[in-house]
Amino acid sequence: MKILVVDDDLHIQRLYKEEFEEEGYEVVIASNGKEAIELFDSEVPDIVTLDILLPDVDGIRLLRQMKEKRPKVPIIMSTAYDYRDDFAVWASEAYIVKSSDLDELKATIKKMLTKE
Amino acid sequence: MDIAYKQKIAEIIFENIRDGIIMLDRNSKILAVNSAIEKWTEKPVSDLIDKDCTDVFHDITGICPHCAAKVTFETGEVNIVMQKGNHKDIAYYAELSAYPIKGDTGELTGCVVFIQDVTERMLCHEEILGLYTEVTQTKEYLEGFIENSADAIITSDQDGIITSWNKGAERIYGFTKEDAIGKFLPFVPDFLIDPEYEMAHRVIDGEVLKEIETMRKMKDGTIITVSLTLSPIKDAAGKVIGISCISRDISKKKRVEKELIRRNQELSRLFFISSAMRGTLELDRLLRMVLTAVTMGDGLGFNRAILFLFDEKEKILKGAVGVGPASPEEAWQIWERLSLEKKTLSDIMRDIEIGPLRKDSFFDRLSRGMEIPLSEETILTKTAKEKKPFNIQDVKKEPLSDTVLIQQLGTHAYAVSPLISRDKVIGVLWVDNHFNRRHITDEDMRFLSGFSNHITTAIESARLFEQVALAEQELENIFESISDMVCFITKDYVIKSINKAVSKRLGKPHDEIIGKKCYEVFHGMSSPWTKCPHHETVETKKAYVEEVEDHYLGGTFITSSSPIFGTTGEFIGTVHVIRDITELKNLQERLIMTERMAALGEVAARVAHEIRNPLVSVGGFARRLEKKLDGNLKEYADIIAREVERLEGILNEILGFVKETRFVKEIVNPNRLIEEVISLIKSEVDERGIVIVKEIEEPTEIYVDPNRIKEALLNILSNAVQAMGNNGTLFVKTYVKDNAAVFEIKDTGMGIAGEDLPFIFDPFFTTKKTGTGLGLTITHRIIEGHKGSIEVESKPGAGSIFRVFIPLNNIMDEK
Repeated sequence: MKILVVDDDLHIQRLYKEEFEEEGYEVVIASNGKEAIELFDSEVPDIVTLDILLPDVDGIRLLRQMKEKRPKVPIIMSTAYDYRDDFAVWASEAYIVKSSDLDELKATIKKMLTKE
Repeated sequence: MDIAYKQKIAEIIFENIRDGIIMLDRNSKILAVNSAIEKWTEKPVSDLIDKDCTDVFHDITGICPHCAAKVTFETGEVNIVMQKGNHKDIAYYAELSAYPIKGDTGELTGCVVFIQDVTERMLCHEEILGLYTEVTQTKEYLEGFIENSADAIITSDQDGIITSWNKGAERIYGFTKEDAIGKFLPFVPDFLIDPEYEMAHRVIDGEVLKEIETMRKMKDGTIITVSLTLSPIKDAAGKVIGISCISRDISKKKRVEKELIRRNQELSRLFFISSAMRGTLELDRLLRMVLTAVTMGDGLGFNRAILFLFDEKEKILKGAVGVGPASPEEAWQIWERLSLEKKTLSDIMRDIEIGPLRKDSFFDRLSRGMEIPLSEETILTKTAKEKKPFNIQDVKKEPLSDTVLIQQLGTHAYAVSPLISRDKVIGVLWVDNHFNRRHITDEDMRFLSGFSNHITTAIESARLFEQVALAEQELENIFESISDMVCFITKDYVIKSINKAVSKRLGKPHDEIIGKKCYEVFHGMSSPWTKCPHHETVETKKAYVEEVEDHYLGGTFITSSSPIFGTTGEFIGTVHVIRDITELKNLQERLIMTERMAALGEVAARVAHEIRNPLVSVGGFARRLEKKLDGNLKEYADIIAREVERLEGILNEILGFVKETRFVKEIVNPNRLIEEVISLIKSEVDERGIVIVKEIEEPTEIYVDPNRIKEALLNILSNAVQAMGNNGTLFVKTYVKDNAAVFEIKDTGMGIAGEDLPFIFDPFFTTKKTGTGLGLTITHRIIEGHKGSIEVESKPGAGSIFRVFIPLNNIMDEK
């Protein structure tokens, strides 16, 4: 299983990568929206974790673009602040506020992938 | 008789004759002289004989016998000449008679010259000649005088038959010389024949009658007034043979006299009226007074008058006032009554106001209904356009006669005069003599024109006064209706006048404020407040504007004071304007708070990103360390991880609070909310040249947190303004629909692209270069929090419409 992690924070990239790999996933990292779409196309990830605040484009647009390409790929929004109530169209499968405790995130990923 | 005797007699005669005798030959040699000749030569006779006559006379005496003789020698005839000479500087005249002396054979042998002194005779003759010339001249002069005299100079015989008739008589009586001479007193009217005879008898008895005023009949029958001087004509013997009559036409003089008196009266009346006019500044009253003066018997004396005023905007002459009787009976009454004789000004005023010429008389109403467009070509408009008076003698003969006047007033003849002020026509004065049909004369016209000039000035000043009065009234209205407090305070701190706002704000009736010291009333102090602008103006005589916080009145005020100076330049007090800005202050403070709150939402998001990410890294790696380490080090990592977890907890608590800000609700009028929000963006709107069109419906009530709703609306309005850039129109509407209060905000900006439309409320969604992309997100949150909704319509390039719905029925529910 391949996870695409989209986040511009280098430390978080590394933390996620190490943690997810320990769980047995393959991890690809994108630091911005452009990379994210490229990797989404080339690597064909099974699941995506997506931050909202990115340097080039906001995560919501990215989410829409990815859903247009392959609607079935589960996407987990992972942000520093809870905007869940504010979105008119909420197309992601899950929304998780970032935390140093990755248990919830890992559990959600597992749940999403086994659903399929 | 013998020859010797004859000779003797001849010698005696020769010697004793008073004339000088001298005998000459052809060569002027003196043959003989008598003794009388000495008078002419002053030489003894003996010295003359045989001398040349030329030497003895001629140059010396001025007479020359030889000259007289010379002609006789040449012609053989008697020659008589008159010679003028000078003897001892006295002029004398001499008549010289030369007789030929013939010899026996008939040849001329000599010449005898008699010299007779005719000086006396000549002088006498000259005198007569002079007298004659003089008499001739006098006669000519007299005849000329008689002929050319302006007076009629007539002579008649004792029986009244005309014997002479001068040009003056022709002129005055109309009869020519041929008409009159030989006739019996043709100029005496029948009814005066008897008194005429009586006068004639007195004259014949020798009396001279001077300056008798009587009447005479002209050839055409017209009776004229004349002044006569009748004197007897006597012949050389002193017998009366006729009567001379000098008569002067005094009709004109009489007229002029009457005219002078009338004129004088008129002038004094008019002077009276004009002083009254100067005292009256009420336009309506003045106009009435003017027309009364025009129609009053001892004023201008017209029957009817109308004053038309020129309406510059509509370009028409409008009847302003009309004065005149409606019928001949009324006319008589009016003229009887309206005389200035022995009336005081107030009497006249009363006559004007209650008399038959009062306002709203039939004629006045008729006049006021008249309107003549300047475009029409009539006498009235012509008067206004050409700025000159017209006298229409007969309306039927004048094609431009105003038909409205003929039809409505039945006028037959009228006169009009323009009222010109500073070269502009302000109106036209119309008059006629409808009832007595008196002919309007040139004199009337002159007078009417003069009077027109006079009243123009009065009307102008009355108009000015009206304007001033109007402005004063307006000022008073402004003063009273202005929401700012305005008061006039003297330099002694006494309140002289105030507007309603003052008594309203102080909660005291007008009378309890006037006359009090301002520092007592406004500040509850016993002496002037040093920070008060009025106090500063009193000290410096300069204007002051200050923002003052007053605890006595409880509020914040912008106060200004401007010094007022009297006519002589002395400082008398200030006009004090006080604006209560307490409300504005509060609003401003609330706005700052609102902005802070809005900022807090954004700051929270930013803080979340900036702090949470590092916390996640720190905590996440600490957990990884913990897994890989043993003993103390594991414990250290655990401490780090749990401390991070605690920090994350605190962060969630804070961010949660921000997100779920509690609403402080109250019942408010949505219109007030939107007005307040508009006032917040006003400066930006004005700067950009954007026009705001408001359509505010009947007020209703909603139960909301006003500050949060304002924040929500502010975000929409700010976006709208920014979407328009410079220029554009912002439409703001409030109304009630489907049990919800609706705020509709429409802009003419760039609009929103169709694909963006669903996401505009999403966090971080922004098309602007600056901004967080959270504005509409927050708006959305606030509206949702009030159980309301928000909808958007937009067309790229045409603008957007935002509608915010706040349910009305939540008032009771929430309570």
